[in-house]
Amino acid sequence: MTEPSRQLGMVIDLNKCIGCQTCTIACKQLWTNEEGMEYMWWNIVTTVPGKGTPRGWEQMGGGFDEKGQARTGHLPTVEEFGPAWNFNYDEVFFEGKGPTAQLKPSPEPTWGPNWEEDQGAGEYPNSYYFYLPRLCNHCTRPACLEACPRQAIFKKEENGSVILNEDKCNGYRFCMEACPYKRIYFNPKRFIGQKCILCFPRVDKGVAPGCVRMCPGRARHFGYLDDEGGQVHKLVNVWKVAVPLHPEYGTGPNIYYVPPVLPAALDAEGRPRTDVPRVPKEYLRSLFGPAVDEALKVLNAEWDRTRRGERSELMDLLISRKWHDMLRPFDHNPAQIAT
Amino acid sequence: MDRRDFLKTTSVTVTALSLSKFVEVGCERPPEAPTGPAPTGTWLDRQRAKWTWDKTYFVTHPQDCYPGNCSWVGYVKNGVFWREEQTGRYPVVDPSTPDWNPRGCQKGCMYSRVTYGKERIKYPMRRVGPRGSGKWQKISWDEALSEVADAIIDATEEQGPESVIVDEQPGQGGAFPHGVYPPLRFVALLGGTMLDANGIINDYNIGQYMTFGKFHGVSSQDDWFKAELTLIWLMNPVYTRIPAYHFVAESRYNGGEVWTIAPDFSPSAGHADRYVPLKIGSDAAFALGVAHVLIEEKLYNADFVREQTDLPLLVREDNKRYLRESDLKKGGNEEQLYVWDEKGKKLAQAPRTKLALGKVVPALEGSYRVKLADGTEVVVRPVFDILRARLEAEYGLDKVHAITGIHPDVVRNLAQKMAAKRTNILVGWCPPKIYHGDLMERAMCLCLGLTGNWGRRGTGVRGWTVLADMSIYTMPTRSGGSNDFADTVTELGRLVTALEKKHPGITEEDAHIELENIFCKLIGQVPPVFFWYHHAGYREVWNRKEWGDTAMKRTFDEYLQEAVDKGWWDNYVRPAPQIEPRVYILCGSNVLRRTRGAPKRLLEHLWPKLKKVVVVDVRMSTSALYADVVLPAAFFYEKAQLHSITSPHLRYWAFADKAIEPVHESKNEWDIFALLAKKVAERAQERGKKEYRLRQVVDINKIIDAFIPPGILGKIGDKLVRGKALKELQGFYGPTRTWENLHKRFTANGHYNAGDGEKLFDDALVILRKGGTVGSDTTLEKLRKTGFVKYTGLGRTPHGLNVATDVKPNETVNPFSWHTQKKIPYPTYARRAQFYIDHPWFIEGGEELPVFKEVPKAGGQHPFIMTSGHLRWSIHSSNVANEFALGLHRGEPFMFVNALDAKEKGIGDGGYVRVFNDVDEFTVQAKVSALPRRGQVIIYHAWDPYQFKGWRSYDTAIPGMVKWLHLAGGYGQFRFWVWNWQPCQSDRHIFVDLEPVRVA
Repeated sequence: MTEPSRQLGMVIDLNKCIGCQTCTIACKQLWTNEEGMEYMWWNIVTTVPGKGTPRGWEQMGGGFDEKGQARTGHLPTVEEFGPAWNFNYDEVFFEGKGPTAQLKPSPEPTWGPNWEEDQGAGEYPNSYYFYLPRLCNHCTRPACLEACPRQAIFKKEENGSVILNEDKCNGYRFCMEACPYKRIYFNPKRFIGQKCILCFPRVDKGVAPGCVRMCPGRARHFGYLDDEGGQVHKLVNVWKVAVPLHPEYGTGPNIYYVPPVLPAALDAEGRPRTDVPRVPKEYLRSLFGPAVDEALKVLNAEWDRTRRGERSELMDLLISRKWHDMLRPFDHNPAQIAT
Repeated sequence: MDRRDFLKTTSVTVTALSLSKFVEVGCERPPEAPTGPAPTGTWLDRQRAKWTWDKTYFVTHPQDCYPGNCSWVGYVKNGVFWREEQTGRYPVVDPSTPDWNPRGCQKGCMYSRVTYGKERIKYPMRRVGPRGSGKWQKISWDEALSEVADAIIDATEEQGPESVIVDEQPGQGGAFPHGVYPPLRFVALLGGTMLDANGIINDYNIGQYMTFGKFHGVSSQDDWFKAELTLIWLMNPVYTRIPAYHFVAESRYNGGEVWTIAPDFSPSAGHADRYVPLKIGSDAAFALGVAHVLIEEKLYNADFVREQTDLPLLVREDNKRYLRESDLKKGGNEEQLYVWDEKGKKLAQAPRTKLALGKVVPALEGSYRVKLADGTEVVVRPVFDILRARLEAEYGLDKVHAITGIHPDVVRNLAQKMAAKRTNILVGWCPPKIYHGDLMERAMCLCLGLTGNWGRRGTGVRGWTVLADMSIYTMPTRSGGSNDFADTVTELGRLVTALEKKHPGITEEDAHIELENIFCKLIGQVPPVFFWYHHAGYREVWNRKEWGDTAMKRTFDEYLQEAVDKGWWDNYVRPAPQIEPRVYILCGSNVLRRTRGAPKRLLEHLWPKLKKVVVVDVRMSTSALYADVVLPAAFFYEKAQLHSITSPHLRYWAFADKAIEPVHESKNEWDIFALLAKKVAERAQERGKKEYRLRQVVDINKIIDAFIPPGILGKIGDKLVRGKALKELQGFYGPTRTWENLHKRFTANGHYNAGDGEKLFDDALVILRKGGTVGSDTTLEKLRKTGFVKYTGLGRTPHGLNVATDVKPNETVNPFSWHTQKKIPYPTYARRAQFYIDHPWFIEGGEELPVFKEVPKAGGQHPFIMTSGHLRWSIHSSNVANEFALGLHRGEPFMFVNALDAKEKGIGDGGYVRVFNDVDEFTVQAKVSALPRRGQVIIYHAWDPYQFKGWRSYDTAIPGMVKWLHLAGGYGQFRFWVWNWQPCQSDRHIFVDLEPVRVA
C-alpha cells in the first residue's frame, strides 16, 4: 500500500452532538437511496452504552491485535444491522378496514439502526448516556483494504479516504468481516459491498461531506490532519482533546471524538457528588482507550478558564463562532457548484 | 503485512467459516445475477453523477416548528425534488456570538421524502363507507367543491353560518398566502366560527401571561449564548430546538453554566452541568424555595423589584385586595393602586403611565394603617411583605425538600447563582399543558423578577410570538394591490392613535391588544373552550372535580356560568349552545390527534352532529380518516411564501420558493379556498339563495363607539377614520351578508383569484416594509434571489410590540428593554410585572400569589404518572408516519418505562403494555430506559392515532381538563385576544397503570 500524501480527518464533538440524526438523513439522501441500499446507514448515531448497529458490533472482531496480526471477524447480517421495514399505508388508509388496520412495520422489528435511542445505562438519577455518531473511520491501516482479495478497496492518494471500487468488488464480504467498526454494508441486489465514500464528489470540489456540513449542532470539524491552521489538526494534534474510537482495533482511525462531559452524579437528595463521575471512567476508556483521560483533563482545565471568565483558545475552537471555520478549506457553497 | 498476509491469517482460519456463514446468516447469495438495470459508466462516474442536479431553489418548511424558518436549498433534478441541504450562508450578526449556520434539522432534510411519501393524499376523495371505515371514492375537484359548498349553504340556512367551524391551525403549510390564511379569510367573511390556534394547541405560556400581560417575550436564539446561567426547565431543547441547541452548548463552552431541572434524566439533562431530579409536578415548590432563599439571604435586586414588579404595591389585610383610590375616596379610580413611600412616610400613587418612580421609594416591608373613604381603618402591606411571610411559613427549605425531593443545599446554591449571574430560563410549552403549570411559570418568573433577570442580554424566559403577521391585516382588503395593503396599515395606525387619545396613558402595545380583542369579535375568532363545553362533550369531564383543582369551592359549571353571566366572554361563546355545529373544515389540522381526549369526546359527541367534515391536507391523518371529503393540498415545495412563523427567535426569515409543481392532483390552499368561495357563490345562485343572516350578531356600532367615541378625533378625523372604518367593517362583518359578496371579498373584487397567490404575497409584503420589519427593498423577486431576509425591526403588530425592545442590526435581541430601560408599563392590571392577582376568584382559589398545588389525580388513583414532551422525530404529526422517520426508531409508538418498574411489572424491552386509567386504555410498545424516574412513564407525542391498535392513542386516556381559574375575566389582562387569555387543555401528569400484554 502506498502512503497517501495527506490524510483527511474529522472531529466529532460529543458535547455538541444531540443525536438528531441530521447527518444520518443527509447521508441517506445523498448516497443510499437506491434499491438494495434501503437498510444502509453509512452514517448513524446511536445512544451509548448500547449494542449499536450492527447489534453487538464491538464483539464482532476484525481489525488487528496488539502485534498487528489480523483478528478474525464476524460477518454482520442484515438482521443485526436492522432491516428496512415496510409499512402498510394502503391497508390503513384506503382498503376499507377501518381501525382494525394499524400502521405497522414489517417484518416484525427485532432490531434497527437506532433501536436503543435514549435507553442508556445506570440507575436513575445517575443514569448516563450520550450520542455516538459512527461512520467509516477512513483508517490509516484499513483492515477492509487488506482483506479484499480483489483490491477493490483503496486509500485515495491525495487525501487518504478509504474508497470501495464497486466495479472491482465481487461481493465476497471479507471486508465486512475485517472491518472492526462494521461500517461496510452488503447490497444484495447488486451483490457488492458499499460504504461511506467520504463524499468524494463533494470533497473533490471543496465542499465538506454531507454529514459535516449539514450538522446543525455544529459538532463536526473537518479538514486535513496536517493543516496547521485547521481546527482538526489543532484539536487532534495540538490540544489532543479529540481521540479515536477503539484505537486498540489497530487500524488507525481518522475520525476523532471530543469526549462527553456529563453533569455530576448525584446523591439521593439531588446534591452533586465529587467522588464518582456520572459516566464510569472505565466505560469511556473502553471506547476511546487510555488517551481519553488526558483529553478530558485538558478539556476540563481549559473549560475552567472560561468558567472563571478567562479566554481559552481551545474553548474558542470548540465554539467556532464562525461556522465556516469548522469546514475550511472545504467550505465552498455546494449550491454554487456547477454540475 | 500486505493484503496477501491478511488473507492468509483471516482467510485461512476463517474463510471456510465465513463462506458458509454467508448463507447461514441471511446475506444469502441471490440464485442468479441481480435483476434491474445495470449501472452504467464507471463506479466513480456513477457516484459523481449522483451529486448532480438541474436547478436549485431556496426553500423552507412553513409549519409550526417554532421558530422553524431554516433556509434550505432544494435540489431539483428531472423535475423531481431530489434533496434539501441547509443554505449555510447567514452572515454574522454579532461577531462575539456564534453565527446562525447551518440551521436545519433531520426533519427538514426529510421533507423531500414526505413530498413523495405513501401517506400523501393524491386526489379529492369522498367517503363511501361509514366514517372511519377507509372506504373512499375518487372524485373530481369540481364534485368535491360542490359537495362542500352545498354543505356550507345548508348549514347556514339551517343553523346560521356560525355552525361552520374552522380550526385556526398552527400554520401547517404556511401562514400567508397559503396554509392557515385562506380558510380563516373564508370563514371570517362567511361569518362562521374560527377556533383560536393557541386554544386548540395550547402552547400558551399562561403563567407568563398572568405575570407580564403577554407571553411573547422572545429573544433571538443567539442571545442564549450570552447567558451566564441557563436553566432548562420544563423543556427538552435537545429534541425540540435542534437547529438552535448549539447556542446552549457553545454558551456552556464559553463558561456559562447549564442546569436542567426535570423529573426525568432527559436528553437535555445529559448535556448540562447540573441536573436537578425534582419530583413530578413539584416545580413551583422548587422555584418558591429559590425565591425564599433570595429574600431570606437578601439576594434580591431591590431597585428592580421596586420599579418593575408589583411587589411594592399595597394590599389590604382585611380582604386581600389591593388598596385602590376608590377605597380612599368616593368616585376614586378603581385601577389606581398604591405604594408606601419610605421617604415621605406616606401613601403614594403607583404610577400607571410609566414605571419610573421619581422621588418615591416604595417600602417593600412593613405594615401600615390607612383610613378609607368610609372612615374605617385598615392595615395594608406591600405584596413583598406578604410574599416573604408566605415563603417563610410554607416554603422553608425542609418543606421544599419534602415536596421536591431536592436537598436545601441545591436550592440555596441555585438562588445564589441566579442572584449573581445573567440567567435565562429555557422553558418550553410544557407548563401550559400541566394543570397547575401556570403556578410553575409564575414562580419561575418570580425568581427572575427578584434577581432582575429580564430586559438584559442573556436573561429572560421563553415564550413565542409571530411578527410578520400579514394575515390579520389583510382580512379587510377591498380592491387588492399593494396600495390597498398600505392603506390598511395606515388606517390601523390611525385607530391606534385614536385609542391612545381616548385613554391617556395607554401604551401603543395596549392599544394594539385592544384592537385585537375587537377584531376577534368581528371575525368570529373565539376560544374553543365553549365549543368543547357545549358541543363536544367536555362538560361532563370538566365537572370531574377529583381530576382538577381540589381548591374549587363550586362546580365547574357554576364557575363557567358566572363567567358568562358577568359578560367576561361576550361574543366568544360560539357557536351558541342552541346552535348545532354542522360543517367542520380542517385545513392542515389534525384535531383527532391533537385534542386531548379526542377519540372519546370528539368522535362520540361532536362527530354525530356534523353533517360534513372536510379535511384539506397533504397527508392522511387520523382526522382525514374520519372525514367525509378529503382534499389534497400542495406541500412545502409546491408554493411560494415566507415561513409561517416569523419570529424574533430567528434573525433571518426564510423564503419558501415553489420548486416543483403540486404533486399528484393537489392544489395550494389559496387556490382551494378561492375556488370554494366561487363555488359557494355559484351553488347559491343555482339554488336561488342570495342573502343570509348571522344568528349571533356582533354590534359593530357598539364596539366602535366604545373603541373610538364619536367626536374624539374631531369632525374631519371622524369622517376620515371612523366613518370609513365603520362602513368597511359593517360591509365585511355586518349581520347580513350575501353569497356573492363572500366570493367578491375573498378575492378582493376579483383581484386575487385562484392562481394569484404569488401576486397576493408580493403585494402584501408592503405591510412588512411599511412596518419596518424588513428592508424597503424586500420583494418577492429579491427573496427568490437571496433566500432569506434579516429582520430590521419588530413591526407595529401587537405581537411585535409585545416583545418590547429595539432591534439593532449587529446585536442579539432581548425582549422587554422598553419596560426596563424606557420604563414603559406592562400591559397588566397592575401595570407592572404582576405576581399578586387580586381577582376574587384567585383569592378564592388561593392563587393570588404563586403557590405549589398538588398534581391533580387526572385519570384517577393509579400508581404511574404519564408525562410527555415533543418527539424528536416529528413536527406535530406532520411527518410522524413517514417511513423514513419510522425506520430510525422502533417503527411505531413507544413509551419509556423505568428499568426497575419494568422488571417489577414483568415488562420487557420491546414488549407491549396495556396502559389504563379511569378514562380509557391503550396499548403501546415499552422502551425500557434509564431516563424516567420510578413511577414515571414518558410518551412523547405526536403519534397519529392510527399508529396504535384500534386507533386508540395515548390521547384517549387523557381527560383533557381545563383549569377553572382561566375562565376569570373583567380584570386587566384577563380578556381574550388572539392566542391569549383563555382556558386550554392540559395533557401532562396523567395517572395510569400498566401491565404487560401479548399482542398477536
